Amino acid sequence: MDAVDQHGHEPRDPVARALAVVSAQQVPAQRACLDLARALSAAGDARRAVQWAFASLDAGEDFAGWLAASRVWERHRAELAPAPRRARVAVLGSYTTTQLTGLLPVACARAGVEVEVYECGYGLYRQELLDPASGLHAFAPDVVVLAVDAAEVDLPPSPADPAAAVEAELERWTSLWDLARERFGARVVHHGAVVPPDEPMGHLAARVPGSRSALLRRFSERLGEVAASPAGRGVALVDCERLASDVGKRTWSDPRYVHAAKQAVSLACVPLLARHTAAVIAAQLGASRKCLVLDLDGTLWGGVLGEVGVHGVTLGAGPAGEAFSAFQRHVLALKDKGVVLAVCSKNDEHLVRQVFAENPEMLLSLDDVAVLEASWQDKPTAVRSIAAALGVGEDALVFVDDNPAEREAVRELVPAVDVVPLPAEPAGYVAALARYPFFETDALTAEDAARTEQYRARARAAGQREAAGSLEDFLRGLGMRAHVAPLGEANTARVAQLLGKTNQFNLTTRRHSLADVQAFAADPDWHAQVVRLSDRFADHGVVGVLLAHRVPGPEGPELDVDSWLLSCRVIGRTLEDEMLGVLVAQARALGCTRLRGTYVPTAKNGQVAGLYERLGFTRAPQEDGRAGEGSTGWVLPVPEPVRTPGLVRVEVDVRPRAGAEGAAEQGAAGQDDDEVPAQRRQEEVLQ
Amino acid sequence: MSGTTGDLLGEDGVDGRVLRVFREVLGDEQLQLSGSTTAQDVPGWDSLAHINIMFSLESEFGVQFTDAQLTSFADVGELRGFLARAAG
Repeated sequence: MDAVDQHGHEPRDPVARALAVVSAQQVPAQRACLDLARALSAAGDARRAVQWAFASLDAGEDFAGWLAASRVWERHRAELAPAPRRARVAVLGSYTTTQLTGLLPVACARAGVEVEVYECGYGLYRQELLDPASGLHAFAPDVVVLAVDAAEVDLPPSPADPAAAVEAELERWTSLWDLARERFGARVVHHGAVVPPDEPMGHLAARVPGSRSALLRRFSERLGEVAASPAGRGVALVDCERLASDVGKRTWSDPRYVHAAKQAVSLACVPLLARHTAAVIAAQLGASRKCLVLDLDGTLWGGVLGEVGVHGVTLGAGPAGEAFSAFQRHVLALKDKGVVLAVCSKNDEHLVRQVFAENPEMLLSLDDVAVLEASWQDKPTAVRSIAAALGVGEDALVFVDDNPAEREAVRELVPAVDVVPLPAEPAGYVAALARYPFFETDALTAEDAARTEQYRARARAAGQREAAGSLEDFLRGLGMRAHVAPLGEANTARVAQLLGKTNQFNLTTRRHSLADVQAFAADPDWHAQVVRLSDRFADHGVVGVLLAHRVPGPEGPELDVDSWLLSCRVIGRTLEDEMLGVLVAQARALGCTRLRGTYVPTAKNGQVAGLYERLGFTRAPQEDGRAGEGSTGWVLPVPEPVRTPGLVRVEVDVRPRAGAEGAAEQGAAGQDDDEVPAQRRQEEVLQ
Repeated sequence: MSGTTGDLLGEDGVDGRVLRVFREVLGDEQLQLSGSTTAQDVPGWDSLAHINIMFSLESEFGVQFTDAQLTSFADVGELRGFLARAAG
């Protein structure tokens, strides 16, 4: 994960360059994912090359891009563990299915099934099914895909008895299903017919049962009914009518290619058809995903719960609120078809429970959620504990989050989990999730609706969480850079704003005004850290503030931390550890012997109650209550330079003030790298 | 385009895009093409690959070949010339 350029230059390493492009996109494009896959492939990283090749298949349907991704997978498949399920798939087509057949193996591998594919000569499927000496019989398929198009559905024009005509044609197809099952014991995947957009009868066709459109619709409906009946056991349909409607029917089939090359499905849509055929095959073999893991802030509702409160989240009203509601409705519909829901959010659990219980706009209730992980731990760890609590493999999970950094953390550290990128606008969330094809199920049962309760019971009984394997590597790979500046004209307004609104990571919640902050900036006894953070996803701007006041103490001057806060965007990234490192360096430069800290509890800052203890401070009970009810005092003798995690590259720009008595020279010296161990270590690493 | 036949396609601009499509479709990252290259000169460029190439060029350049053009370009140079004019 040292792929990120730490110097801010155009990275020379192709992997780093491709990764930077992917990271900069809210929804990584097919081409960007493919370029990354190829760079990883060239670098010999088989696992991640294939992971990103698969991500490129999810991201788009460019035909040449699919061919290229398929080759990346082909090159490395032998180096990876085979997919958990295998099948022999025969494609029986009424048109040129060579491209579909060519892409099906990679599409199935993406869906968790290793397949070997046999392509029947086009238009010969009846013969091959009937002839015991055919190549199809020698192949002995487990799955037979009937890749047929509407032109192959043989219905007479304007029949006298349309219903009887449809039943007769239906019989011709169900007899093929029977053959496939009797001869091979194969499951059947049947591509449904697409009603052509060209209807000579116009709108009258909707009223005339003998029109071509009406006949085809009736045929499709009856095909579904028979497939769902006991007689249709083992037959699955791919609803091509829906796929074609999604992309547009004139995109689905291009007459130039139909006439020139018997391409009944345009090459623009063959990848889409391969993806959905694979999803249906995987569902038949039991390889579908089972659990949807949902982020909350920015995903199920708008706004940051910890900041806006239980009734302040954007939901229900207004364009964005309606979009979030629509998304919740879609999620509920998935739950009703048997998808288990889990929540994974960086939030206080009691606040989250309160929103579910008390916000009247919430459509999802706590009863809909099998596992609720709301805490401040990293998401990869939370996702793993969700899988453990449900007693399912990580490959049963699908993770949905609006934040690209969280998505990449999960992709990187829990690679078996599928990740669905959400677009920037909530209006696009439903389509993004609806186009994800691997929740496909073979049949609906009464159990499906009850599944959540079963999993909830299992989760209640589940044990301890696993530790995050390589969170450190992930954080290092973010390429975080912190710039620490003193208070000054450029930042006092932002500092006052953060002091005024930050609730969660805020040790004292002192709401100093802009005038106060300007006064601190001018006062030589006040020492501040104003921290900007950037990483390869974004420049987060000023996200951290620490205000310390130099005061006399029993054994010399002390540095008293008046205020310390971090924006909730950057919690859990070890930035606070680096700020302590800078604070210690400041204290040493100022000749201070001790650091003092205060924690003032509020309704929202429980997550930092243990911060000073974790950082090595000891309780100073004589200080308790000094800053208000329940407040606690903490001290730390100024140590040797502290060892910090070193996951953030820190550039320090704070100089102790010239006016600080007896410390000016020392202070200037304090800017040497020696005084800032995290920075020094980082730079050593980089050289 | 007769003046340019015989020369190798470059890696940038219209040439680069044409090359990328051929390489991805044919699965040969080292493939080189010149203006006078025809299907007979390139292993794997059969009638099926031809359809895949023509479709992918249409996607890449946002053009539509006529029915006749789908099968009638004499060589890569003629194809490139058409695409260069289409790309403006």
